[in-house]
Amino acid sequence: MNWLSSNLDYVAQLAALHVLQALIPLVAGTLIALPLARLAVGRRRDGRSTELSTTAGKVRRATVINSAALLYTIPSLALFVLMPLILGTSITSLLNVYVALSLYVLAMMVRSSVDAFESVSPITLEAATAMGYTPVRRFWMVELPLAIPVMVAGLRVALVSNISMVSVGAVIGIQSLGTLFTDGLRRNIPAEIIVGIVGTVLLALVLDRVLAALGAWNTRWRKA
Amino acid sequence: MPIPPAIEFKNVTKTYGENTVVDDLSLSVPAGKITVFVGPSGCGKTTSLRMINRMVEHTRGEILVDGQPNTGRPAHELRRSIGYVLQQAGLMPHRTIVDNIATVPVLKGVSTKEARAQALELLERVGLDRSFAKRYPAQLSGGQAQRVGVARALASGSSILLMDEPFSAVDPVVRSDLQNELLRLQRELGVTIIFVTHDIDEAITLGDQLAVFARGGRIAQFGTPEEILRQPADDFVASFVGRDRGMRRLTFASASDVTIHPLQALETPWQNWQLKVEDGKPAGWLVDGRLIPGGSLYREGASLRDALDSVLSSPSGWGVAVDNEGKLLGLLKSDDVLDATETERQRRYGVGA
Repeated sequence: MNWLSSNLDYVAQLAALHVLQALIPLVAGTLIALPLARLAVGRRRDGRSTELSTTAGKVRRATVINSAALLYTIPSLALFVLMPLILGTSITSLLNVYVALSLYVLAMMVRSSVDAFESVSPITLEAATAMGYTPVRRFWMVELPLAIPVMVAGLRVALVSNISMVSVGAVIGIQSLGTLFTDGLRRNIPAEIIVGIVGTVLLALVLDRVLAALGAWNTRWRKA
Repeated sequence: MPIPPAIEFKNVTKTYGENTVVDDLSLSVPAGKITVFVGPSGCGKTTSLRMINRMVEHTRGEILVDGQPNTGRPAHELRRSIGYVLQQAGLMPHRTIVDNIATVPVLKGVSTKEARAQALELLERVGLDRSFAKRYPAQLSGGQAQRVGVARALASGSSILLMDEPFSAVDPVVRSDLQNELLRLQRELGVTIIFVTHDIDEAITLGDQLAVFARGGRIAQFGTPEEILRQPADDFVASFVGRDRGMRRLTFASASDVTIHPLQALETPWQNWQLKVEDGKPAGWLVDGRLIPGGSLYREGASLRDALDSVLSSPSGWGVAVDNEGKLLGLLKSDDVLDATETERQRRYGVGA
């Protein structure tokens, strides 16, 4: 406890960096994932037709989802080390983390956004078309809002996973709560390691609750 | 000068690859009336309906809406000008009831405030309390959701309403309520309604005109319900209108000639049966000290079919007649009702009597 009280400013600063490194990729990755996922879903069948989607549609859907999944299999440490080579950044640049984690978020959110779009009832979409929505307006006003519940579930997983992966960056010297593990280990300060672990877990819990609450507020209609 | 048709199909064909779903359909839908497309499933009636607002694009031919080809303007504009009620209401789950009803006016650029005010009026018009306005669709029963669906279609301000099997997912009691409400709304507003159903009874109840579709997207017969029941054009129509045709036809005959016997005037010819009356309303039959629930009631002014049913379903064999408030008027004798059907039959064919 003594260690924490005397290093409060330092821990707070690391926590802030940690949040930043988790949230920016979450937003960026999701923004890239959404159009890809929507493309993969393709033209939705209308409410009454029973014919299955076309072969071309199936191939496109499988290609997008599988390439995204493949992206996820790259080890995070390898990606952190590779990033400076690809981006030309210095090894400790935050940009490395942003880009690397954005790729992971992309991989996760493509899949869950495809599920999210497919969870929207075709009858509702058909009704929207029949009322005279143009395709673009229908996407923004009907399809996207109705996809939020499933999408939020994916976002929560991506967020928690991001928070844990940000710590890995500490190994190559990028500052985050993970720095407390590496530093504590090197200097043999158990209190510092414990603060690092507890801090990371707390951060994940708090941000997850915030995201869940935001999602629930946006989908009040479901509780009806 | 005949009123120009609201919708006209001119040699319309729809094919999906090799499959012809609608074959050379020509049909004029009269304005201000309810026209019902009826037929077995897979006969192209829904496709025909959906071609009107271009939810399905026709392959050949022309469809005129208020005299203009429906391909003359962007599909979304055409759709905003035609009310559409779907089978499962199809309300937007993330919008409140009032905003659901206001959908089309808002799309057309009416201010939200104005559109909501109008939506509240429509909510009452379809028989729902204003307290429903702030609820979400998931909080409504099937029947209530369908009323909102109708209100939403009316909000387009259109004189044409397309209804695609709108009442097929609700229970029979609610269904009958909705049918009566629809008839009332249509009388009040004078809109043109095209209604798709596979249920011949519903078609007869609602339709001013019926178009009976046969498989392959061909119209087997077009005419008033009475014409179709009286003279089915071919075996297909005859089999589709069903073996209860004789009973159904009585729907169009008035029972006003049938004598209603006042309760007191009869010397209990029903032997030991005694009608129980509570607050002037019939409440079942008493026999040997047991109370037996009564049969269907004949409401004054109803059809011969209702009169006959009241007689057939009554435990005592006597039909019970009531007025519009449900108060007892008297009893119907089965012989009288059968005589009335006989008179009706002779009048129909212009013989005897």
